[in-house]
Formats: sequence, structure tokens, C-alpha cells
Amino acid sequence: MPPSADTAATGAPAPAAPGPGSGAHDGPDGGLRLSSLTKRYANGFTAVHDLDLDVPRGSFIALLGPSGCGKTTTLRMVAGLEVPTSGRITLAGQDITDRRAHQRPVNTVFQNYALFPHLDIYENVAFGLRRRKVRDVESKVRAMLELVELDSQARKRPAQLSGGQQQRVALARALINEPEVLLLDEPLGALDLKLRRSMQIEIKRIQVEVGLTFMHVTHDQEEAMTMADTVAVMNGGVIEQLGAPAELYENPRSTFVANFLGQSNLIEGRVLSRSADVTTLDMHGITVSVPTARTHTDGEGGWIGIRPEKVLIGEEGADLDAPGNTVPGGVVSDVSFVGVSTQYLVRMPWGQELQVFSQNTGRTRMFTVGEKVELSWRPEYAFCLDINQDAAAGVDDGETR
Amino acid sequence: MAPDDQAPARRSTLSRRGLLRGGGAVAAAGLSVAALKLPFFSVAGAAQDPASCRATDLSERERRLVISNWTGYIDPRRNPRGTYNTFQDTTGITVEYNDDVNDNAEFYAKVRNQLGSCEPIDRDMIVLTDWMAARMIGLGWIQPLERERVPRLHENLIDSLRDKAWDPDRTYSAPWQSGLTGIAYNAAYVDEVGSFSELLTRSDLKGRITLLTEMRDTMGFMLKVVGAEPEDFTEDEWYDAIDALNRAVSDGQLRQFAGNNYLQQLANGDIVACEAWSGDVIQAQYDNPDIKFVVPEEGLSLWSDNMLVPNLATHQANAEAWIDYYYEPEVAARLAAWVNYICPVEGAREAMEQVDASLVDNPLIFPDEEFLADTWDFMPLDDRQSQQYEGDWSDATVG
Amino acid sequence: MTQAAQAVPETATLAAEPSGSRRRRGRTGYLLMLPATLWLLLFFVVPFYSLVATSLFDASGSDFRGYEMTYAWGNYVDVVEAYWQPFLRSLWYAALATGICLVLGYVLAYAIAFKAGRWKWLLLVLVIAPFFTSFLVRTLSWQLILSDEGFVVDALQFLRVLGPDDRLLATPVAVVAGLAYNFLPFMVLPLFASLDKIDPRLVEASSDLYAHPFVGFWKVTWPLSLPGVVSGTLLTFIPAAGDYINAEFLGSTNQRVIGNVIQGQFIDANNSPVAAALSVLLMVLIVAMVLVYVRRAGTEELL
Repeated sequence: MPPSADTAATGAPAPAAPGPGSGAHDGPDGGLRLSSLTKRYANGFTAVHDLDLDVPRGSFIALLGPSGCGKTTTLRMVAGLEVPTSGRITLAGQDITDRRAHQRPVNTVFQNYALFPHLDIYENVAFGLRRRKVRDVESKVRAMLELVELDSQARKRPAQLSGGQQQRVALARALINEPEVLLLDEPLGALDLKLRRSMQIEIKRIQVEVGLTFMHVTHDQEEAMTMADTVAVMNGGVIEQLGAPAELYENPRSTFVANFLGQSNLIEGRVLSRSADVTTLDMHGITVSVPTARTHTDGEGGWIGIRPEKVLIGEEGADLDAPGNTVPGGVVSDVSFVGVSTQYLVRMPWGQELQVFSQNTGRTRMFTVGEKVELSWRPEYAFCLDINQDAAAGVDDGETR
Repeated sequence: MAPDDQAPARRSTLSRRGLLRGGGAVAAAGLSVAALKLPFFSVAGAAQDPASCRATDLSERERRLVISNWTGYIDPRRNPRGTYNTFQDTTGITVEYNDDVNDNAEFYAKVRNQLGSCEPIDRDMIVLTDWMAARMIGLGWIQPLERERVPRLHENLIDSLRDKAWDPDRTYSAPWQSGLTGIAYNAAYVDEVGSFSELLTRSDLKGRITLLTEMRDTMGFMLKVVGAEPEDFTEDEWYDAIDALNRAVSDGQLRQFAGNNYLQQLANGDIVACEAWSGDVIQAQYDNPDIKFVVPEEGLSLWSDNMLVPNLATHQANAEAWIDYYYEPEVAARLAAWVNYICPVEGAREAMEQVDASLVDNPLIFPDEEFLADTWDFMPLDDRQSQQYEGDWSDATVG
Repeated sequence: MTQAAQAVPETATLAAEPSGSRRRRGRTGYLLMLPATLWLLLFFVVPFYSLVATSLFDASGSDFRGYEMTYAWGNYVDVVEAYWQPFLRSLWYAALATGICLVLGYVLAYAIAFKAGRWKWLLLVLVIAPFFTSFLVRTLSWQLILSDEGFVVDALQFLRVLGPDDRLLATPVAVVAGLAYNFLPFMVLPLFASLDKIDPRLVEASSDLYAHPFVGFWKVTWPLSLPGVVSGTLLTFIPAAGDYINAEFLGSTNQRVIGNVIQGQFIDANNSPVAAALSVLLMVLIVAMVLVYVRRAGTEELL
């Protein structure tokens, strides 16, 4: 077992991956390693660009990104269904780049499952075992069907099952082969929201139970964060940021990640001073501070980022709980009550509207449109990003579910 | 006369024949019988009495005439001075001329439901070969011709076509054209084939000959080969001849029974010799001088295609005018110069000197007495015989 | 068997056909069925009925004497005895041609469905293109191609595949080749339709699950294309078994098939009862073979 990373957040037995290119897991029982992997199509489009990634054995990694970001191409190259233009793929210490799909100890749960319609559930699940001439197919299949709770459906055809059941067959069909890596290609995309939530938990449970390496491709940030130990946010053929879900959320390194994972207020600022601990910025005439460890720019300016739920809202001049960055002069321009919280849009003196999510704890009253308010947040929650990045990157992409 | 590829000989242009004729024989059999009688009961005989099954002649009022003839069997109708237009101009009769006869048996199958139940076939004249003419006359489907309206027929018909057993006095029929059946070979590939028995036995011809699909032509020769007379043979002799034919088939001497493009195959060398119709050979010779016609030692079969007026024809007098017109020697010569078959009209040879002098001495158009001395005709068959022999023939040719 | 016993089931099934279902459908349903029913009655039931009737006439009848209905079931025995050879030959040639069509057609349809990319529809049009000329003309052209003096024979003789005196035309090879050529599109189109429907991810899934491409083909692509294989082979075999044009133009007298016999009996020998008995027999034989075949192929949904 590789050493556990301190960013693991979901309680999985397996550790999260370290940052890209750390090269820490090259041992004989190493996991999946992609080095300088590039895929360029004949029409000149580069789907994956010089990608490096280490996935420790037994971990659950999600490749998260909008459509066209290269996540599916990466997965297909690992599966052997796509030939890389350059770069290597190593699995369990062996270079598998030149092996064909059927020679790789890798299995895939396909989008829309790709179950064999002419075979019953039992034979679908047994397919891989039979191809490898494994003995004791019967008991293995029975056990696997039990694991996915489909033992009573063994002799039905895929078309006779519900979407969720088909999903579990696809999972069982791949899992039964005990692959070095199990690849999941948007496996829940075809299910409705409720079923998707329960399947997320189910898959996570199974992964913990069997202890295999899972690589999951999705464009659903919530799904990625719920299931994976490590999330790799991909954009334009490269990994923007890799880390545990909480780390990515709390400390995004780029505007794309800040916007694609949840929502962020990004406010333009100018660096006044930097110290070892704190960076001070001028934000439209107000001085705010951001921990230097969360400042991801060396330039003069920066996007000061704060998550809407970290922003406190109060009456003008009120004594807010946060000793730190206080921003006066806001006017409420929109109020949406969503039950657990109230979501405000607050127009700031410099014209920008900031989002504020206020928990309905009952301790504060609701504000109405037109009221003057004061905002504040704790400096340690703020982050600072490169001013040269597009403040709107990843905003729309994140909406597509 | 210049050869013209638009003037193919009568029997060689039957390229559609195979399809039309079979035309899905299954469906045809079903549909045509369906038209007879539906219930699960017997079907009456098809014989009719021409005296009772005749229509009022409208010839005086309606100056028109509907003819069915074989393909390519008349000089070009576009020619304003051709025989066809001259007839229309001089008589004032409009002729609706159809070249829709491709095969005797096929034509028979097409009209037998109507003629067999005394219904009109909307034609005033049809042209069919001797044996089919004989069958239809025997069935009473053909109207007798008014003798005084076809004087030239009785005057000018050549001797060799008179006194046919099935119509001794030419009461019902008038030959349109005549032809000879003999042997053709391609001199570029083989030496002369002098007889039918040579055709059936010579090893250099093995698998490279065809015989004709007309039973009376081919079986006439087979009877000759086994030493019988086609004009009068016994049943035993018939089966000897059938056996001889079967042997030729099973030996692989014979490639095919052909009714159409056999001369094309002869020209391109797929076959090197064949039983052939004289008019076809003359046509083919224009393109390929290597193709030769031989009078076999067994003799020649002489046949003719006959103009007949079917029951319920409404323009019989107009049809008779047509017959009489084509028995004018000058008209007959112009027709013969184009179709290259034997001209059945006495005096046409003299008239030919004005039309195309090069054809006057062609024995395949104007055979002399000596040439015709060797010709024979096939014995008339009664109903049972023809059914039996045609069945045997069908079995032998189909294998 | 009595005469009544023969006639009754025939008419009974016919009458039961249109109203067979117990489900209530209302008047509109029946009205909508009317054109098709009339069509079937007029162009299938009546001719078929009369065909069967004709096959039971006394075979010694003629147009002169008429045909007597004698329920001559012996006709069937006679025709089997006399013509079992061309019967078998028809089925054998058709089976060979169907086999050749299946192999060639599968490769072609597979290439068009999976490998042709944007040329897919053009290639399909090319497959159908020969249909724009008449069946007869196409077959006659083969006569020229396979001619003794033609380039195909020359080339094969040069390669010593054929001896100097061997030929192609007027041999079984030519007949089967002609059948295969003429009916290939009937094979390719249903195969293409089946193959084109196969989700390529299923093939990917099979190789993902350790199946070598050949194994994947055998375990996934082939079974999924079976409906196309079954309908393609039927569409090829049935017309090929009844075809006589290829035998007539490309074969010799020793390659005549049952279609030639039926044609000869009906037109030349003028023997309708025998021709009708042969036709009914051919029909029954083919229907029986198709039923057995479809059942064994496990694709009853097709019928």
C-alpha cells in the first residue's frame, strides 16, 4: 500500500493520489500510470494533450470535465479502444501501451452499458470469464449477481430489465473479471436523478468492498465528489487540478475549477503586499487578505474568490461575526428562498453582483430586495487566482447535467 | 441490298423470349387457368366451330386491320414507299401492325383461354408456324378464307407449299414466309459439317453445338439420323430418335437447345456448329463471312409461317386484301429482299431482278427444284400424339 | 381421402383468415383490412386455388378433349418420379448460390456497415445499381463475360485453372455464378440492415471483456446479425430455387432446373396438370424448408 495522503476525505480505505508527476508509485504493485499521454486525431484535433496521471492501486479516481475535455478519450486509451498518438500507459508495473484491448487486465462499464442483447444476464456476466477460460464460472457469476442484487434475474434478457438493473449488470459484468482497473464511462448518465444518487452510493459501496482501482469519467461534479477519493478536473485535454474533492472545492487553483466545481464569487483585486502567511489585496478600495498558501498567482492583480455559502450577510453597520474582510455598501437585488438556505444577489458599489447563500438557522432575518447590506467573510476561506484567467471559465460547462 | 442491323431475321431476335415466354410460368399457369372455371370441376375441351364462332365483318365500314406477326418480319414500315405503306395508300385500310409473336407455344398460351371459349382476341390476323397453324385449325379457331377474295394466293403460291395435309387447299392459311432448317458452322473454327449425324458425333464439335428448340425441326433430323422418315414414322422410330437425342445430351456433345441468339454464339466461337434457320444465316453472313449454311445429307426441313384469320375477327375482308396484296410477285420480292427468307410467291424471282439482282440466284431465298427435292415436312400429329411427343420432347430438352 | 375432405379444409382456412382474431377491432379495422384482403383473394387465393385444382386434373387431358377433374393425386407421384433430378438440382444450385452470396455478401455488408464511413450510402447504391438494368440483360451479359473466347476463360486457362478445352459457359459453375451474381443484392441489403444496427460499443465491449476480435465477431457480431442472415438467405434461396433464366442462358441442357421443367410442361408440352403439380410441389417444398430453417435458426419473430 502506498502511503496515505492527508487529503483523503471520504473515508475510503485507499489513499488519494498525489499531485501529477510525483512519480511516487512505481513499485511492482503500482497502480495505473499515464505518462505524457497524447491523442491527436487525423483532423488535427488534440483530444488529450501530454497528460500525466498516477492512480494508486485501490483508489477511486474521477475524471471530471465538460464534454470534449478529453476525459472519455483518456479512459478509452486506458481500455485499449483508442491508440495514443504518443506517451505510455503503465499498469501494475507493466507497459500496456501496445497491448490490444482484449489483452489488458482492464474492464469498462460503458455509457448506456453496451450489454449484449442476445445473451441473458447470466451469460452477459459470464462473458469475460468464459473468454479467459476461467474455471468455476457458475459460482463466480452467482456470487457476483448476489453482490449486485440481481440473482433472481439471471435468465432474463437485458431488455427486460430496468435502467438501474441494467446498470448493475454492466457493473457486474466488468467487476467479475477482477480487473486491475475498472473504468466507468458516464455510467449513471442515463438514470434519473433519484436512481443516480442511490447508484452512486451503491458503486462506492462495491468499490470499498472489492477494493479494486476505479476510474470514473463524468461531467457531473456532484457525482465525482460523492464517489471519488480523488478528482482530476480536466479541461481542453489537460488536467487543470487534481486532488481530494474537498481540497478541490475549498482551494481551487484556477477560475475553471472554481466555477466548474460549485459556484464562486470572483472579484478583481490588486496585490498590496505579500508575506509568508498573508497576501493583502486592494479590492475596489477595500483592503482584504487571503492566506498566501491559497494565493495561486504571482502577478500584480488577482481574482479574489469566495464561495457564496462562506459569505455572511448583515444589516449595514451590524457587527458581523467575521473578523476580517468586511465589504460595505451592498444592495440586495434578488432573493430566492430555497428552504435550507436563502440565496441572495447583492449588488456591490463597483457594480458587480455577488452571490450569498445564507443558512436558514433562524438566527438572522431575511433581507428584501433594495435593502442595504454589508457582507463579510473570514480571510482563511478566500482564495486568489490568476487575473489573466477568464472569470467565467467553466461557468456554463458546470451547468450541463 | 445493304445489311441493316435494324432488320434482324425473324427468329433470331427473340431475346425477350425466355422471359416473356416463361414469364413466371407458375403465375401464368395459375392466372390463366383461373380465368377458365373456378370451381373444383373439370374444364371442357377448347374446340370451337368456326361457323358459329364468327363475327359480322365490318371491313366495309371500318377500313382497318389488326395484325400480330413475328419481330423483324417485314420491310421497314417507316419507309413511305415500303410494302406496308403502299398497301395502306392503295387500299385506304389502316393497318395496326404488332410484332408481338415471339414463339408459337407462347402465343398459343396467350390466346387459348379466349379462343378456346369463343371470345375475341382483338386481332384480325395472326402469323404462326405450320404445326401451330394446324393445331389451331384443328381446334376450329380459324376462319376459312373467301376463295374469290384471295385469287393471287391460289394462283401464285409455289408448288412446294401446296398440298399440306393439315390444309390441303389453303382454305384457312396463307404462307407469309418460308424457311429452311439446316446446319450452320463457323469456318474459322472447324471444317465443314456435312450431316446431322456428323454434327452429333464429331469429336471436335463436342460441347460446342446447339440444336433448335422447335421440336419438329430437331426431331425431324433425329428421325432421319435413326433412319426414319419424318413424314411418316412409327412410335418405335420416334423413341429411337428420342434415345439418340438423349445420348447426345448426356454425352455432352450438345451444349444447349437454342431458340434465340445461337448465331451470336456461333459468330463469337462459343459454339462452332449448329442447327440453324436459313434466314438467320443469311443475316449473319453479312457480318461474318465465315458463317456457312450447309444442306445436310439428311436433307432440309421446309416450313412456313402462315397468315391466319382467328375466330371473331371483325375485319376479315381487309385481312384477305392484305393476303392478296402480298401475293403480288413484285410486292413479295420487295419483302423477300428485306427479310431474306424463302419467298412463297411464284414469279417473285423474276420481279427480284428489279429489286436486288444479287439475291436472284440465292437458293436460300429462291430455291430451285433440285434444292427443294431434299426437303421434308413433319408428319401431322393427332391430339394424343402431339401431347405425348411434345411431352417427350420437353423431357428430353429439359433433362 | 374423400373429395370433400380435400375441399373443406382449404375453404375453411381461407374463410377464417380475415375474421380469425377474437379481439374486437371495430368496423374501421375491417374496412382498413379490406383492400389487402381483396388483393390477397384476387391475386393469391384464387390463382392458388385454381393452381391446386389444375394439378388434380387428369393429366391425359388436352385442349381438344378438355380436362377432367379426377382428383389425380397420382400426378404428384408422377412428377416426383419423373422430375426429382431437376428438383434436387434446383435446390442444390440455389443452396450453393446462397452460400456464396452469404460469404461475399457478409464481407461486403460488413465493410459497408463498419468500414465505409462516408462512402456508406454510395456503396449501397452501387450494390443496388445492377437492378436498374433488366434481369435478362444482366444474365445475357454474363454469357459474353464467360464466353469460351472471353477474357475470363483466357485468363483462367493461362493460369492453368482451366484446361485448354475446358469452358465456363454452359457448366454448373456458370449457372451458380449467375445465380449468386443476380441475387447478391437480396443478401447484402438485409445483412447491411442488421449489421448497421449493431452498436459498435458492443464489439468494443466484447474486446474489453477479453474476446479476441475473431471471437468477438463470433460471439457478438454474428449472433446479432442473424436476423439479417436468415432473411438474406431466404430472400436469396427462394427466388434462386425457382429461377430458370440463369440455367437457360448460362447452363447447358444438363443443368436445367425445375423452373425450366415447369415452363416446358406448361408452354411446350401444353400439359397444365403436370406444370401445376410441379408448381404446387415447389411451393410446398420451399415453404416447408423455410419453416424448418427459420425455426432452427431461432428467429421465428421474422415470420
